[in-house]
Amino acid sequence: MTTTEETPRLPFTRANALAIAPDYDVLRRQAPVSRVLTPAGDPAWLVTSYEAAKEVFRDRRFGRSHPAPEQASRISHAALQNGPNGDFDTEERDHKRMRRMLAPAFSAPRMRALGDRIAELTDRCLDDLQAARDAHPGEPVDLTDFLAFPLPVLVICELLGVPYADREHFRGLSERIAVMNGGEDAQAAMAEFMAYMTKLADAKRADPQPDVISDMVAVQADDPTFTDDDLARMGAGLLFAGHETTSTRIAMGTLFLLSDTARRDRFAADPDGQVNQTVEEILRLTATSGTGLLRYAHEDVEIAGTRIMRGDAVLISSDAANRDASVFADPDGFDPDRTPNVHLAFGTGAHVCIGANLARTELRTVFPKLFRRFPGLRLAVGLDEIPVRTNRVAGGVERVPVEW
Amino acid sequence: MKITVDTGSCVSSGQCVLLAPEAFDQNEDDGTVVLLAEEPPAGAEEAVRQAELTCPAAAIRLSGA
Ligand code: SF4
Repeated sequence: MTTTEETPRLPFTRANALAIAPDYDVLRRQAPVSRVLTPAGDPAWLVTSYEAAKEVFRDRRFGRSHPAPEQASRISHAALQNGPNGDFDTEERDHKRMRRMLAPAFSAPRMRALGDRIAELTDRCLDDLQAARDAHPGEPVDLTDFLAFPLPVLVICELLGVPYADREHFRGLSERIAVMNGGEDAQAAMAEFMAYMTKLADAKRADPQPDVISDMVAVQADDPTFTDDDLARMGAGLLFAGHETTSTRIAMGTLFLLSDTARRDRFAADPDGQVNQTVEEILRLTATSGTGLLRYAHEDVEIAGTRIMRGDAVLISSDAANRDASVFADPDGFDPDRTPNVHLAFGTGAHVCIGANLARTELRTVFPKLFRRFPGLRLAVGLDEIPVRTNRVAGGVERVPVEW
Repeated sequence: MKITVDTGSCVSSGQCVLLAPEAFDQNEDDGTVVLLAEEPPAGAEEAVRQAELTCPAAAIRLSGA
């Protein structure tokens, strides 16, 4: 038995925004599944190998709910990804209903239709970036303020049917719910966020629009087990996810491309030809939260020789799995020519990220536009001066100062 | 080479469509996969193979030479 003192505790520290913590590699060499402590100090299993991660993602004996929630390991004191979620008895049914309800809105054909609009919004963001530069010539501009943050928010607002004018309000709420040691404030922000969503749902009920919140309201009308609370939580979750995750990828992708001038020039020379594979490589390499995705074992399971007991918390580190040398040659190297590149950035299995197509469509639009317009873009500070957000569920960086 | 899809296990993620739009589409109502081609169209073999590997539900199969 390892004692508590010897058990590594998440999150692990990393050298800079583009690296992942070396501890993952150390753990993976020892075993695909290791004992760790969560940021909240509770015991959990950490999955670091690619094969084991894929296995857990696909194994239906793992879920987001817990057979006895009050005894479950806590991950953090944020208001989401913090502990068990949903009802143990109905999780599978609830999840199926959610997927069926949301799938059409996030499908590839809808994304194709949304593509032109995303292109238009991206151009608008790039105009703002240029205007900020013109307003203070010679000074760096923060790419997160003008592109990485506003673009995903504009897009998710359109898709969900949320007024963009309210963005400062829910940006604040999104930040507060995701603070790892947020505690009561995170909970208060979540309550406020859900109240906001409930009000919005009421408005859609009275005047339905072609948007996701209206779709949810329509489903609710036929299914009384889908409560107002479920709807508000799901809406808040989607709005939050639409914000933080893609935003992180735009910021980190730009960092990856700018951290090596030859890499940037190669991409800028043929953005359309290289974008799809470059985006996959950005997705593979972007280290996100320091915890990974949370599951609870719904029965006793053996994964890669490790016995996991019913109720145990399991954290799947896609960051670590995506840099598993047994699957990806030179795993820390940025190689857009990598093929196949079957990373787990969106997870896999029945819970695979529903926003994957949306994220891919946004990323495939942003990078060619950014580098066609600003082929000489460069980082205004050293990579080591880019502050990494360690206290956030979705990870990410504080800012990306650029100049051209 | 023959492509088959299992719409029963498909989780409507649409990854296949983004990777190989020549071979796959999605049903408008529930997002399940629609096979557009029985065989990978010329030039799309690699993309179809990537879709087979990436499909989160393992619902796509490539068989034969
Ligand atoms: S990638 Fe797989 S699960 Fe997703 S739509 Fe295509 S067949 Fe279905």
